[in-house]
Amino acid sequence: MTESAIEFSPERTTPFLQEVMERSGQMLTACYQCRRCAAGCTVGDETGCFTPNLLIRTVMLGDRETALSNPLVWKCVSCYTCGTRCPNDIQTARITETLKKMAKEEHVEPMMPKVKEFHDAFVESGVRWGRVNEVEFMGIYESKAALREAKVKNYDAIVEEIKAQARLGLTMFKKKRMHTGFLMASGRREIKALYKKAQEMTTIDQ
Amino acid sequence: MEIGYYPGCSLKQSSALYDLQSRMVFSLLGVELKEIGDWNCCGATSAGKVNDFLAVAMPARNIGIAEAAGFDEVVIPCSACYSRTLVAQKRLEENPGLRTEINSELKRKVKNGLKISSILEVFMDRIDAGAMKEKAVKKFRGLKPVCYYGCMQTRFPYTVPVPDNVENPQGMETVLASVGVKALDWNCKTWCCGASAAVNDADTAFSLMAKIMKEALQRGANCFVVTCPMCQLNLDAHQDSFCEKYGIEERLPVYFITEVVGAALGFAPEILQADRHFIDGTTLLKELEEHEQK
Ligand code: SF4
Ligand code: SF4
Repeated sequence: MTESAIEFSPERTTPFLQEVMERSGQMLTACYQCRRCAAGCTVGDETGCFTPNLLIRTVMLGDRETALSNPLVWKCVSCYTCGTRCPNDIQTARITETLKKMAKEEHVEPMMPKVKEFHDAFVESGVRWGRVNEVEFMGIYESKAALREAKVKNYDAIVEEIKAQARLGLTMFKKKRMHTGFLMASGRREIKALYKKAQEMTTIDQ
Repeated sequence: MEIGYYPGCSLKQSSALYDLQSRMVFSLLGVELKEIGDWNCCGATSAGKVNDFLAVAMPARNIGIAEAAGFDEVVIPCSACYSRTLVAQKRLEENPGLRTEINSELKRKVKNGLKISSILEVFMDRIDAGAMKEKAVKKFRGLKPVCYYGCMQTRFPYTVPVPDNVENPQGMETVLASVGVKALDWNCKTWCCGASAAVNDADTAFSLMAKIMKEALQRGANCFVVTCPMCQLNLDAHQDSFCEKYGIEERLPVYFITEVVGAALGFAPEILQADRHFIDGTTLLKELEEHEQK
């Protein structure tokens, strides 16, 4: 085995690293791989060895493909544990959030499509009415997921998902935890204007 | 005394009991919560994952509304709304350019100086004012709660002043102690319940919640107490599912802080709408109350 474990090419690395640093507002180059983040990562059991410090190293090495598609970027629950403990104040959650957005812009297939669909649906619902209507939002989310599964003719997955959500919905209804009225803010036009502005400014995250 | 109040979407829907309890409890303690007009969704944890500008802009509009209405302080019981609003305020303060951009679209512009309080801070003020002890008429000595803070109450994605210990917060314990309820110490106070992963990545969320549940049981807890409606809904609505998956037989009610304080202040469980839990919350409170009367 003469293959080297890591590959480094500055031409490829620098622009990517810089973009992630600027957009996430996190000083990735300050990381000295102490792995304090790794020790406490909430989803450590779920992501295997893909710990926050490893994600940072991946970005620093310019491995764009792995950086945009790995279990941590898609499973990170933004609990901010790693960032609170990092001796260099690096918030990995801000990095995973940035990488999710970059994946979307570059049309990289999300490793966990449901995560993306969830957040897209939430924002869609919030921007449309000014307030999030839980029932409508879950409807948008479920239809996004169903549409994706239908494209690959995975009808069983659709049925399973609907069954699970219907079960939860029914108990929520019984416990009077399902709200049937409709919420909206009359100033939603302001929110829409801000959303429009936000879309024009996608590359300035900070 | 009156303070501004931002309920947020959850408290108007699946966690409407938290809205009701907050108003009732604080009113009894001498603080009227005045809902700010025409507020909008704070963007929760989703906006930051879709568009960062929006994540600041959405809470900004609410800050502007509260300030224009003349409030010095606004209380936000939902931990996620509290976190997003506090972070947005800080970012607007530190980035005048961003502030100008956002303000240009707002009818009521963000100025500064609004105090954004968590529900625990408002309780703390009441403790300092001596209002809690005096009003606590019922004892719940048999209640053995573990206080669950989750993420949003103490950890922020941006440097903001945190009014409690980050790794071992004491706010809820202090509030409960002020009405004679002694909370248990435990390890999972600030662990994550998985938040939206309960919907979009159930395997991950269920594994996280099962760990929290096991630790609570090992400590001998008979209920959870929370401030966050997302944590409440997750631990409550999914408890049967994650316990079945991980072979846990016991079940624990998940109370809002306002529910336990409210019960100690003398409100009946039905008045507090404690019957709106997935895991029965009324029986335990009633049993303990009867026990005290014997
Ligand atoms: S805790 Fe901070 S410095 Fe240490 S490895 Fe993690 S990101 Fe790097
Ligand atoms: S914020 Fe993400 S990366 Fe950091 S500890 Fe939490 S789950 Fe892990």
